[in-house]
Amino acid sequence: MLNQLDIRPRFEGRMVTFQIILAILLLLLFARLVNLQLYEHEGLLLQANKNRINVVPLLPTRGIVTDRNGIGLAVNHISYKVQMIPERVEDMERVLQDLQHLLQWNDQQLGNIRKRISHARNDRPVLLVDKLGWKHVAPITARLHHLSGIDVVAGTHRDYPYAELTSHLIGYLSLAEPKDLKRHYLRTENVGRSGLEKVYEPLLHGKPGSQQEETDATGRRVSVLKQVPPTTGTDIQLSIDIELQQVASKALGNRTGAVVVMDVHNGKLLTLLSKPGFNTNRFITGLEHEQWQSWIKDIRKPLINRTTQAAYPPASTLKIVTALAGLRHGMPLATGSTQCPGYLELADRKLRCWKRKGHKHVTLQKSLVRSCDVYFYELGDQLGMQRLTEEAARWGFGEQTGIALTPETRGALPSPEQQLRNGGTRAWYRGETMITAIGQGSSTVTPIQMARFTAAIANGGKILVPQLLENSEPIVLRTIDVKKAHLIKIRNAMRDVIADPKGTAHWSLNWTPWPIAGKTGTAQVIAMAQDDENNQQNKTPILDRHKDHAWFMGYAPFDNPKVAFAVFVEHGGHGGSDAAPVAAAIVRQLAKQEAQQKALQVARQKNIETSPL
Amino acid sequence: MNTLSKMDKVLLAGLASLAVLGIFTLYAAVHHGDITIWQKQNLFWLLGMMSFMTVCFIPLRSIGLMTWPLYLIALLFLMMVPFIGDIQMGARRWLDLGIIYLQPSELMKWTLVFLLAHWFASREPASLISFSAALIATLLPAALIVIQPDLGTALVLLLAACAMLLVSGIRWRWIFAAIATSPVCLYLLWNNMHTYQKTRVLSFLDPQSDPLGAGYHVIQAGIAIGSGGIFGKGFLEGTQARLHFLPEQHTDFIFAVLAEEGGLIAVLLLLALYGTLISRILIIASRAHNRFGSLLCVGIASIFMLYIFVNIGMVSGMLPVVGVPLPFISYGGSSLVTMLAALGIVMRVAIESKDKIPWQRPGSPLS
Repeated sequence: MLNQLDIRPRFEGRMVTFQIILAILLLLLFARLVNLQLYEHEGLLLQANKNRINVVPLLPTRGIVTDRNGIGLAVNHISYKVQMIPERVEDMERVLQDLQHLLQWNDQQLGNIRKRISHARNDRPVLLVDKLGWKHVAPITARLHHLSGIDVVAGTHRDYPYAELTSHLIGYLSLAEPKDLKRHYLRTENVGRSGLEKVYEPLLHGKPGSQQEETDATGRRVSVLKQVPPTTGTDIQLSIDIELQQVASKALGNRTGAVVVMDVHNGKLLTLLSKPGFNTNRFITGLEHEQWQSWIKDIRKPLINRTTQAAYPPASTLKIVTALAGLRHGMPLATGSTQCPGYLELADRKLRCWKRKGHKHVTLQKSLVRSCDVYFYELGDQLGMQRLTEEAARWGFGEQTGIALTPETRGALPSPEQQLRNGGTRAWYRGETMITAIGQGSSTVTPIQMARFTAAIANGGKILVPQLLENSEPIVLRTIDVKKAHLIKIRNAMRDVIADPKGTAHWSLNWTPWPIAGKTGTAQVIAMAQDDENNQQNKTPILDRHKDHAWFMGYAPFDNPKVAFAVFVEHGGHGGSDAAPVAAAIVRQLAKQEAQQKALQVARQKNIETSPL
Repeated sequence: MNTLSKMDKVLLAGLASLAVLGIFTLYAAVHHGDITIWQKQNLFWLLGMMSFMTVCFIPLRSIGLMTWPLYLIALLFLMMVPFIGDIQMGARRWLDLGIIYLQPSELMKWTLVFLLAHWFASREPASLISFSAALIATLLPAALIVIQPDLGTALVLLLAACAMLLVSGIRWRWIFAAIATSPVCLYLLWNNMHTYQKTRVLSFLDPQSDPLGAGYHVIQAGIAIGSGGIFGKGFLEGTQARLHFLPEQHTDFIFAVLAEEGGLIAVLLLLALYGTLISRILIIASRAHNRFGSLLCVGIASIFMLYIFVNIGMVSGMLPVVGVPLPFISYGGSSLVTMLAALGIVMRVAIESKDKIPWQRPGSPLS
């Protein structure tokens, strides 16, 4: 039996030990908590805020681009995108399978998305699909609580209603790349890559805002703490008339070429069309490599803007420059006449006129109307290369027009000095000057230069900067010092190109609602051995890519010029029969629009008169 | 003097303060979510106080008579678990008894304390036979709990038994021997642990190694506690709690809610209340008229202290994550009711120590 008294002191002693142990345990806890709440407080408070506060960028709405009548050329549509924050996904396989089922991805799409997820950062949203309509995302939003880490975000996507028609003019966007991120773009933002989307990027883009969100442990937004709203990009109204552009495109059909229509008074462009176009909408969601490659490899080169980036031999349209130079320098031939037997003998060579039988007696007027080559060989020979080049430069060839749509090529104006300077060992031949005088030499011009030149003839010598914005002020680069009488002579000749039954564009353009003045051009693509008589006898079928380029430049109406136009058809055949009909379609459309407007005005007038007030 | 008036007022006051603190803290933990949890806990408080009052009226002698039967029943249940127990979260711990859903390891924890108190009340703890018997009575259920597996409860059981052995007066050299052999035991234990238990221990050693897995709880709780600072973020203002960054925030991790919203001041208050409660239990133990009462109090105090230390240690990142509630604060009906019943026993010891005439018969093992 135990003696209570014996063990009592030992019990007391052990109790003290026990109490000390308990006190130590409590002190340990206290020390740990003091450490956490006093010494590590600041760092942990920061972490707590980082835990809960998420700064989310708010993307700005991009400015829209419309034509002169307010028809949208680059617009925004409300759409939904599905994104994922990988680290918040509980069961990646299940979530992906659910999404595959809901969005009907095929295995290849799923593979692409897997790749995108594995390349992305774990804690940042990864874009899975974009441009979804509400009916596609509705089943996802309904199941969102089963899909951890998945979020559906409303936003806008860019849409080009006239993608093929405006591909070079408007251009396209694509997602920001690493080099853009350095310029403070966000990964989910789109950046203008070409055309006006690129040129007016700072205007159209707007400024992103941001939002401080309080998020819970699953990353869902609980509340918005602070918001800096984004600034919407500026809307842009172009001077382009998309209806007219459509008419021009229809008239070109599926031929390769370019059409420029310009207001002769202020340089505003009504049409800037390059064909073929490409579907710029394909860029928004990320272009497939195959598509891009097929555009790059396409022999028709759809990515080039033929109105500003491509220069072609101007052919007979340049005879106007030769004629102007002849008049200006008082060449006897300019006011006199010569005989065209169908060729010109120069040393041992024969320079041919396009008309084998010749034009017989030719004056400046007749040579322009019928596009006689021999007359201009002689006039060019009398003028010399120096004066020819100088005159072409005066009228704005060989220089950039200054259109906002960059990049722009300047074309080429050859000169004897330049040829030597460029390392050419060969001396300049007289024949080359003569060829240049009819626009077949090594000089090249762009359709936009051609349109501006035409406008300058119509407006009395004002060289304008082509404008794309509806509310832009006209910029006159220079007014050319040219005698009015000379201009009238040229204009009359240009009118007779259409009005004279023997004019080169008579059959194509004589019956348009507005009288047109213009000039055709047919540029040889390969030398047709002009001296070889035999070749003419066994005519072999000509390959498409060896066919001549067709030009038509002109303005209308003749007596009261409003618009100037340049039509270029690559390998189109003849200027008169192939390019001029496009101009006819344009003029018909413009006349129709004017008639409609007048009718509207009359109706309004009547309304006012008959109204009881 | 009637029984009620003989109650220990300090113990009552401490309990009442803890009740208030617990109810407020639980409200903060669940107010943005399922408020019925809070309402249920209030009901459990009523139930618990009823059991507390009931136990106050049970003579210690009756409790002494019940120790062996209770222990044997608990042991039986514990042995049944591997065969008919329910599996929850990969471990067989629960027993469906038809009316109640019982966790035999919980029952064993308390009955072992009663048994050891009863055993050493009438025996010389320094004798090898009584020590060995006590050791077997402890290790048998501990082994059964380890294989469930429920390391946390097994550890609490073992440490509570150690505390009682220490206080009852076993020889120091045996204690040192136990400490010396513990590395071997730990090694054997580690080799037999389940993978999830190993990752818990490893994530405790380096929580950043797996910030979204096992270490997530510890890191988020640490952020909650630390971001509270001295004065806390204010009642119902804790962002970690409100935004669900805290796991199990109304049960095992509720301390983090208190520390985040109440800061160091609330932490100090809670530790002071616990300190008061435990030291008061030990004072009652010293004043008890018999060894059984004293040892009961010591056992109960050590279980409380182990709960407090393991829970706060775990939440503040000092110890690995084991499922142990914070006494009187965590949500949970059965643990609250059992703890209040245990406090009822302590109160009974206090009441009986105020009796002028001891009721014991000489020669009884309880004398």
